[in-house]
Amino acid sequence: MTSLLPQSAPPTAGHPGKLIQPDWAEIVRITPETEGISTFWLRFIDPQVRERYRFQPGQFNMLYLPGYGEAAISMSSDPEDEERLVGHTVRFVGTVTKNIGRLKVGDVIGVRGPFGTSWPMKQIEGRDLVLACGGIGLPPLRPAIYHIIRNREKYGKVTLLYGARTPKDLMYPEEHEEWKSHDISMEISVDRGDENWDGRVGVVPMWFYNFRIDPRNTAVLTCGPEIMIRFVIYEGLARRIPAERIFVSLERNMKCGQGSCGHCQIGPYFICKDGPVFPFSVLQRYVNVEEY
Amino acid sequence: MANPEVIAELKKIPWFGTLSPEHLEKLAEITTLRAVRAGETLFKEGDKQDYVYIVLEGRVALEIFVPHRGKVRIYTCEQHDVFGWSSVTPLVRQRTAGATAVLNGRLACMDAEKLRQICDEDRDLGYLVMRRLANVVASRLMVTRLQLIDMFAHPEEKNA
Amino acid sequence: MLDITISRGTTVALPKTEFDLLLADLRENGYQTVGPRVQDESIVYTDIQTLADLPRGVQTEQDAGRFRLVQGASNNYFDFIPGADSWKKFLFPPRVELFTVRKGKGWEYAEAEAATPRYALIGVRGCELAAIEIQDKIFIRPDFYDPTYRLRREGLFIIAVNCLHPAGTCFCASMGTGPKAQGSYDLCLTELDDVFLVEIGSELGRSLLAKRKYDLPSAFVQNIANQRLSRAAQEMGRVLDTSDLPGLLTEPENLEAAHWDEVAKRCLSCGNCTQVCPTCFCWDATDSVNLNATRASRTRVWDSCFNPAYSHVFGGNTRPTIRARYRQWLTHKFGAWKEQFGTLGCTGCGRCITWCPAKIDHVAEIAALRKEVNP
Ligand code: SF4
Ligand code: SF4
Repeated sequence: MTSLLPQSAPPTAGHPGKLIQPDWAEIVRITPETEGISTFWLRFIDPQVRERYRFQPGQFNMLYLPGYGEAAISMSSDPEDEERLVGHTVRFVGTVTKNIGRLKVGDVIGVRGPFGTSWPMKQIEGRDLVLACGGIGLPPLRPAIYHIIRNREKYGKVTLLYGARTPKDLMYPEEHEEWKSHDISMEISVDRGDENWDGRVGVVPMWFYNFRIDPRNTAVLTCGPEIMIRFVIYEGLARRIPAERIFVSLERNMKCGQGSCGHCQIGPYFICKDGPVFPFSVLQRYVNVEEY
Repeated sequence: MANPEVIAELKKIPWFGTLSPEHLEKLAEITTLRAVRAGETLFKEGDKQDYVYIVLEGRVALEIFVPHRGKVRIYTCEQHDVFGWSSVTPLVRQRTAGATAVLNGRLACMDAEKLRQICDEDRDLGYLVMRRLANVVASRLMVTRLQLIDMFAHPEEKNA
Repeated sequence: MLDITISRGTTVALPKTEFDLLLADLRENGYQTVGPRVQDESIVYTDIQTLADLPRGVQTEQDAGRFRLVQGASNNYFDFIPGADSWKKFLFPPRVELFTVRKGKGWEYAEAEAATPRYALIGVRGCELAAIEIQDKIFIRPDFYDPTYRLRREGLFIIAVNCLHPAGTCFCASMGTGPKAQGSYDLCLTELDDVFLVEIGSELGRSLLAKRKYDLPSAFVQNIANQRLSRAAQEMGRVLDTSDLPGLLTEPENLEAAHWDEVAKRCLSCGNCTQVCPTCFCWDATDSVNLNATRASRTRVWDSCFNPAYSHVFGGNTRPTIRARYRQWLTHKFGAWKEQFGTLGCTGCGRCITWCPAKIDHVAEIAALRKEVNP
C-alpha cells in the first residue's frame, strides 16, 4: 500500500485464505527463563505445515488457547532451527498467557502466522549495528542475533545494549558468552544492582553516550518498553543516525493479525500488518502526538 | 607546577581537551591520581571528605544503604564519568551516597575545596567547570527519571 | 408481457402491484427478503414478505441527536431516511461464531452447523451501497478474505433505491455517494406514485424482472424522476467541505488542536456513532468453553474505538482519554482510512450525527477544527 514500508509475506500457518482458524502445534519443550517468563518450543502437528512454515526475525505468531483466546507473541528462536521448532518466549500477563503458563510438554496449542514485518536483515548488511533492547524486548531480537552470528561476515561492528530491571531479570544468560564469542559486544545494564553485580547500573539508552559510533554507517534495531524505545530514538537521532536507519518494533493490541479488526492502528498503519517493525522515518510524524 | 603525569591523564578525557593550557594546568595542580581495587570503598554515605572524582579506568558503583535490603546499587560510573560532584555545589553538606569500586581501576581526584576556590577566582574557568557539571547532573537526573519510571516492571505491578 | 428487450442499463416502469411477486420470486429462489419496517419507533431492517410490511407514507425528521417518524402526505414506501440500523449486520454480523473446536487427542475443528444465509436486500440507498463497497475492501483482500463476510456478500441480491427526500443529517452529495444509487446493484428503484422506475443493474436482476409485467416509462415520467432526484441533491441537510481531507485530519500538528479538548467535554464515549456507522469494521473476539473444557468456541463481536478496553495493551491503555478516542475515530474515518483503503471511511449517511446522544455533529466539528487550524 505505501512504498515506504517493507511488505510482509503471507502467513504459512492458519488455513489459507481463511486465516481465522489456527493450525495445531505440540509443545515439545518448555524453558523457564526468569520469574514469570518461559520459552515454549512448538512443533506443528500437520507435517505439511511444519514443512512450509517459515518466519523472519522480528515477526510474530498468534497463539491460541481454546476457551481463553489468542495472544500475539514474537518468535524468539532461530528461524533456521534444525529441528524446525518454533520458540516463543512468553511473559505470563493477562488471561491467555497466564494459562499458556500452565501448559505442559505434550499439550497442544493453536498457531496462526507468521505475521508482520521483520528486522531488515538484508537491507542492513554491511553496516555497524546497535541492538538496543530492554526487558522483554530481547526475545524478538534473538532471531536477529542468530541470523547475525550465522552471517557474521556480512555485518560490521555489532553492539547489543540490553537493560533489565535487576540482575536476576536478565534473559538467556547462558547464551551471552556464545554471543560474545562471535564478536558481538554486549553492554548489559540493570536499573537496580546489588552488591554481587559488577556490571553496569543505569539505563540502556544512556549508554549510547559511551560508544564511538559511525553515524554514516550505523543501523539501530530497538525493541522494549515504549519509553525506552523513545529514548533510544532520541539518542540515535542526536548521534545523527538517520531516522530511516533506526528500526523499532512496536507493541499494540493485536487481535486479527491481518489489518481487519482495527485494534492496532497508529495513524494510517496497522501494526500487525505494516509493522511491528517500522523504520522510524515513517513513524516520526506521530511519535510526539500523545495518546495517538 | 603540575605533575606532567596528571596532565597527560587529564588530556585523555575529551572534555579537558577543549580547555586552554593554562586552565588545564590549574586543574592538574589540584588533582591527584589514585589506584583502586575492586571492592574498595571510596566514601560512605554521610562522609565529609571533599573530592570530585573522574573515572580513568574501571567502574565505580554509587550505593545507598536501605534497611532490610542492604546496599542498593543505583548507578555505576564508567570511564570518564564524574562522581562526587555534589561537593562542588554551593551547599556542601555530606555525601548522599556511598561509592565502591566494582572493578580494579584508576581515578583522578580533585580537591573540591580548591576547585571551588579556583572557580571563584577565575570566573572563566569557573563557568566552564560549572557548565560541565551541569551536564553531568542533567544526565544523572535523566537516568534517575528513567529508573523512577521503572519501565521494566511487570505490567500488573505497575497498575497496582 | 410486452415485447420489449431489456438488458443491463434499461429502465422500466413496474406497477407497484407487481413488486410483491418479485419478492415472492426471490424467496422461491432461496433468498431471504429483508427490508425496512417500523419497529421500536424507528426503522429496522428485518424480514419482509410484501410491500405492506414497509413503512408506508412514513417520513423521518432527523437532526443531531434527534430522530422522529412522521406520517407524510404520500403513500410512498421509501420516503423515509434510514434509522440506526444498517445492512452491515447482515454481512458482518454483530455476533458470529468463527469456529468451534473439540478436544480429541489434541484439538480438532467441529463442522460448522449453520448454512450461510442468502439475503435479498430491499431498499439499499446510495450511501448504503457505498458503505458495502467500503467494507468489501476491508474483508475481501487480494491476500486474504473473511469467510463469513465473503460468503454472505457473494450470495447477495441488492435492490437499491434512489433517495428523493434527504433528511436533516444527510450529506451524501458531499461524499459523492448519493442521492442517486451508484455501483453494483441488481435492480435500482425510483419511486413514483403508482410505479417504480426500475433500472437493471445485473443479469440476475434482468432475469427476475423479465417475468413481471412492466412498461417502458414515458419521457414525461422519466423527467419527473430526474427532476426529483436533482432536487434531492439540493436538499441535503448538511454539506461537508472535503477539499482538504484527509490532510486536515492527518497532519500531526492538527492532532494537537484545542478543538479536540472542546469536543471531548461533550462526547460521552458511548460508541453509538461507531455502532450505527455502516462502515465501522472493528471487531473483537471472545472465547467460551463448556463445563468440562472439551468444546470451545471463538465468537466475533463488534467493537468500538470508544471502548476503553479497545486500546488496552498489557499494562495500560494507549488512549486513556475521551479526547484521544474521539480523535482516533474522526481522524480514522475522515483521514487515515484514505491511505489504508483508497477511500474515506464515510459515506455521508448522517447516522452518527442523528444517533449521538450528545448531539455532536461531526460535519460541524470538522468545520470548527478547520477554522481553528486555518484561521
Ligand atoms: S461516519 Fe457517520 S455519516 Fe459517515 S458513514 Fe459513518 S455513520 Fe454515516
Ligand atoms: S460522538 Fe456522540 S455517539 Fe460518538 S461516542 Fe461521542 S457521544 Fe457517543
